[in-house]
Amino acid sequence: MTDNSTVTADRRDGLAVIYTRGYINNQAGEEIARVAYSLIDEGHKALLLNLEGTTIVNSIGISILIEIIEKMIEIGGRLAFCRLTPTIDKTFHIMGLTQYAPIYGDEATAVAALRG
Amino acid sequence: MSLPLPGPGSDPAAEPEAWGRLLELAREESADHLLLRHLVEVWARTSGARGVALYLEQGELLRREVAIGDGFPSILERDDVADGAAGVVPLPGGALVVEPPEAAAAAAGAAAQLTLLLGAAATNRRLKQQIKAERFQVNYRIVELEALYDVGLAVAGTLDRERLAEEVLLRAISLLDARRAALYLIENGSYRLDRAFGGAAAADVAVADPELARFLAGEGPAPAALLPGARYAIGVPIQVEAGPRGFLAVGDKETRRGLAPFPEGDRRILVLFATQAALALENVRLHQQALENERMAREMELAAEIQRLILPTGAPPVPGYSLFGWNRPARQVGGDYFDLLSLPGGQIGLAVGDVSGKGVPAALMVSTLHSGLRLLLDRFPPGPELVEALSAHVLASSAPSKYITLLLAELDPGSGALRYVNAGHNPGLLLRRDGEVELLDASGLPVGLLPGSRYQARAVVLAPGDLVCLYSDGITECLSPGDEEFGTDRLAALLAEHRDLPLAELVEAIDEATCAFGAGTPQGDDQTLVLLRREEEKA
Repeated sequence: MTDNSTVTADRRDGLAVIYTRGYINNQAGEEIARVAYSLIDEGHKALLLNLEGTTIVNSIGISILIEIIEKMIEIGGRLAFCRLTPTIDKTFHIMGLTQYAPIYGDEATAVAALRG
Repeated sequence: MSLPLPGPGSDPAAEPEAWGRLLELAREESADHLLLRHLVEVWARTSGARGVALYLEQGELLRREVAIGDGFPSILERDDVADGAAGVVPLPGGALVVEPPEAAAAAAGAAAQLTLLLGAAATNRRLKQQIKAERFQVNYRIVELEALYDVGLAVAGTLDRERLAEEVLLRAISLLDARRAALYLIENGSYRLDRAFGGAAAADVAVADPELARFLAGEGPAPAALLPGARYAIGVPIQVEAGPRGFLAVGDKETRRGLAPFPEGDRRILVLFATQAALALENVRLHQQALENERMAREMELAAEIQRLILPTGAPPVPGYSLFGWNRPARQVGGDYFDLLSLPGGQIGLAVGDVSGKGVPAALMVSTLHSGLRLLLDRFPPGPELVEALSAHVLASSAPSKYITLLLAELDPGSGALRYVNAGHNPGLLLRRDGEVELLDASGLPVGLLPGSRYQARAVVLAPGDLVCLYSDGITECLSPGDEEFGTDRLAALLAEHRDLPLAELVEAIDEATCAFGAGTPQGDDQTLVLLRREEEKA
């Protein structure tokens, strides 16, 4: 089992996709936030978090994701998630993240929705 | 966003629009951060401060909410904003930190009204954050309950052990905000590491380790080698009614400020979770065991079929004689052996063997005996030389302390001469026509017992009406409910009583007699009979 978290970003004409791998905990959450805020500073107002490589997230990680969502709302931007495991999908619904950041099954649909 | 904001020393009556905008922001739930930012900006301008930061209480610390200017840390301790500290303006539930410190005096002068408004807005913001945090906690409790429910569902839904074990470990980590965890399951009498996350874990832990027992009871720290380097750990047993099946250990609870010990509530959650996990894992284990039993049963049936093919299904025709062989293993496969052979020159070979032990290992040796005997019969007549070569072959190809008793005989049908070698086997019985019983005694050690074993051949001559009975100890050592052995005398008496029956019926009579003697006692050993009778010439 791999438990080394990584965060990478792919910039695409004003929209950026953040890819995560591993456990979204405090450390990985802070790294996602750092990458997200730096993309916002670069002018990206649409962010997609692709969680294909993530099978586990804890409450600290979720609280950081909520902060990122709040930041996006504050700047009038949009954020979405895609490729969630069923467990993470269920957790995000319960925690209310989906009220402000929709979840998509695949990246192409999510990108199209964020651009639309 | 362009906003009309009150200027330095502004009077609400003089700038109603700007102050109205601030009041409007104060009423907007989603704009409270924006409101605070505007108020702090105005406060900075009014006070003449170079920089101002607003800190709000969050637990034991203060978190920076808004900063005008650089150099303000994101987190402050309560002591940093204690009453009287230079450059600090206390607010309800927070504080303003002012640069230069002298500018803080404005809180009592030009910016007094703003300070009051800022205090009210800060309180509002803090209360909303508190509500948000509590809502978050409530939602996360729901996530915990869902996790317990989901693992419970897995009892019925998952028979994939790997997937289940992975799910159990990941959910335990997630539930407790742990940084690492390890799942141990009992294997061969010790706790074996099934999988770990977030760092190394000990490969094995003794079930009886007293330090581990205290740890799992919540009465002591984790054994040092369990989660090396973990600062905090809790562990709970995974057990079902039948006993322990493993344990779950999680280490290093995460908070926004770093690692922390696990509160007692976490142990209760983990115990509940482990109870569900135990049921799910036990369900999978029993399912796997059932599959394994099924596989073993299929293999045993195959082995039994192979063994049935090894043993003869009939006897070669011998004019003037009746010959019959019978075998019934105590289990699916057995360690008894017999063979009835047509040899060159019209001779007839008889063999009865008994491998030490029972079940599959004994059945494998029966195969060795069968193939060895058949191959050696091409090189030797059935006599001492063959048995010596067979003994060397068995010794070389079987486990130490394994051996085979064997009675090998060769009949010359014309003369009635029966030449035999008895390698440690029960003495065969020769029932003469006149009722006298002679024993075909052992003349050497069992084959495969010792290297260099030597054997001697002995011979008897069968007269018309004589009956030979070769048997395994499963017949004579058959036990009654009172642990009495059937014995050679009862066998000899039965042979005498039924000596004229067709041999198949004589075997049935012996079988019925031993079963009746056992009175329902399960057959304890393999049973074999080989009967040879020289028929009397018909008048």
